[in-house]
Amino acid sequence: MNFTRRSVTAGLSMGLAMPALLRHARGQSAPMKIGMVLPVTGPAADSGKYALTGAKLALDRVNKGGGVLSRQAELVTEDDQTTNPGAVLAFSKLAAQSDIVAFLGSIRSTQNHAMAPDIVKTAKPVCFGGTDPALTKLGNPWLFRFRPNDTYSGRVIASYGVETLGKKNWAIIHSTDAFGTGGAKALTESLGKAGATIALDQGYPNQSQDFTPVVLAIKSSGADVIGSYFTFDNDLAIFARQLRQLGVTTPWVGSPSIAVSGAVKLAGPALFGTYGVADFAEDASAESKEFAKLYRAVSSVPPDNYSSWTYDAIGVLCAAIAKAGETDPDKIRSAILATRGYKGAEGEYNFDQFGDGLHGYNIVRNEKGAIVFDKHIEFTD
Amino acid sequence: MDLVLQLLFTGLGIGAIYALVALGFVLIFRATNVVNFAQGEFSMVAAYLMVVFAVDLGWPYWLSFLLAIGGMALLGAIFNLGVYYPLRNRTFLPVIISTIGASIFLANTVLALYGPQPQVLPGWFDTPGVQFGPVYLDSQYLLIIAVTIALVAFQYWFFEHTLLGKKLQATSQDKEMAALLGIPVARMIMITFVYSAVLGGIAGILVAPILFVSIQMGSTIALKAFAATIIGGFGDVAGAIIGGLALGVIETFGAAYISVPYKDAFAFLVLILFLAFRPRGLFGERVAEKA
Repeated sequence: MNFTRRSVTAGLSMGLAMPALLRHARGQSAPMKIGMVLPVTGPAADSGKYALTGAKLALDRVNKGGGVLSRQAELVTEDDQTTNPGAVLAFSKLAAQSDIVAFLGSIRSTQNHAMAPDIVKTAKPVCFGGTDPALTKLGNPWLFRFRPNDTYSGRVIASYGVETLGKKNWAIIHSTDAFGTGGAKALTESLGKAGATIALDQGYPNQSQDFTPVVLAIKSSGADVIGSYFTFDNDLAIFARQLRQLGVTTPWVGSPSIAVSGAVKLAGPALFGTYGVADFAEDASAESKEFAKLYRAVSSVPPDNYSSWTYDAIGVLCAAIAKAGETDPDKIRSAILATRGYKGAEGEYNFDQFGDGLHGYNIVRNEKGAIVFDKHIEFTD
Repeated sequence: MDLVLQLLFTGLGIGAIYALVALGFVLIFRATNVVNFAQGEFSMVAAYLMVVFAVDLGWPYWLSFLLAIGGMALLGAIFNLGVYYPLRNRTFLPVIISTIGASIFLANTVLALYGPQPQVLPGWFDTPGVQFGPVYLDSQYLLIIAVTIALVAFQYWFFEHTLLGKKLQATSQDKEMAALLGIPVARMIMITFVYSAVLGGIAGILVAPILFVSIQMGSTIALKAFAATIIGGFGDVAGAIIGGLALGVIETFGAAYISVPYKDAFAFLVLILFLAFRPRGLFGERVAEKA
């Protein structure tokens, strides 16, 4: 074998360049990792299962379409145990993995509040589903909401109850967590503007086993309509049953939890005839119908907002990464904020400067256990 | 007055659930001197067994109940052999940690086998309740109160008027002396675990139509039942019953007349007061004598 100056130089150059080339090639073929904090254990474990199904459906769709930046997208999940400390621990485990480009946070506002300081430190986009309006006003630039916040739900509940149902004396029942208190505050403000009165503002602790005192307070308050913000399905179902057993037939307009599949199944006839605001309604659009079809093919449970928000979050996030052209967090952030007119299962995403993607709600009605779409109310202000 | 009666009925119904689970705590404590932190999970497992038999398989309710109770007896025996027996000669701490581990194991096993979705278990009666004057009597709460009374009566008769009951009492009071008198101590402890698992199971099956069937249902009830046991006096059967009923009534009235959000705080405030001023509980003298 003859060694010439040219062949030795070429060989050395190849040898020096090869590790970098291999690293680059591996980076191109390595999966695009998205972290996901979800409840696998604890009282909300069922909603975690639905959320994961929604996210996987979106990932399948993205990957079948060629992936993101020519890479297959992949989920890395951690159990938040349905607790705030669990959520913080789960997020910190995911944040320690430097190859994760973005995250899906929680549908529970209180857990997103708990994770928020670590999210700032991690400085990567986190898509979440909690509806406490304060979450996108924390000054945290990495939070992006994929459900309408409770200023909208409060306005829609108040508008429907006062204008459509003609009820002006309200009982507000809410969880005492961040979601419940935030929602109740938003509803109270909206009712004030609509000229309605608050006969009862009653908080309750999550995982209550008995709502008799709450129901009796509603009866004695003289309220002619109930507005509610329940966090957990089982609490809502126990309340609904006791409400009907103790003879309260007052109309009831609830936050999205009143129309989720878990609550509808547990409460049964006790929720018949109730109204709810729902970010996901199967018949609201062609996109929601398409999502419902995909979801029903892999699940025996009807689709609801637990799965629709993660489906949309993965869709918007992957589109934003593709638009950014790279995985630099700042560029992904800008691309998410620039998202306009993205038609998802929950509605059309138009992100504002705070990171809120949706600005309206559907009104649905429980007709003998079936959740029926009534109308969509969108806000532009 | 109507409000008071309604609250009293509901408080007693909830208190009866705490009392049933607290009874299981007390029996095992008396027999082994340790607290079984998996007592709440016994309730959860029994409720899931009922869902499998009565709902999924569609078998008759009475047959499902008998099978679920049989399953709980078996679980109690396995629990004794696997969780308590290997550590019986150690101090109380390893046994307590072992029961905590068992509770986590049971909860996660059911989660893995059945999934996270809460389930609906129908009640014993087709009628959800009856209106008795101004008070609505939930049929399931009526059943819970009736079963609690029946079990307390049975327990009194069993422990005071049967040879086996007296052997169990002797074992709980002094294991060494009981062994010297020819009482098979290991078998007595086995029977105690089996009976406690059955008691926990009955509580779970009774409460499931009200609170639904979920992985965490056991821990929710057990926490209050544990508080009831301390209030009543650890190791005392009457104390567990009265402590449970008192706790149910206190938290219901506290919620109605003071604050719903602080409902749980009333129960634990009472617990703290007892721990501070009467740590032996209402009927705790017998434990002191035993020590």
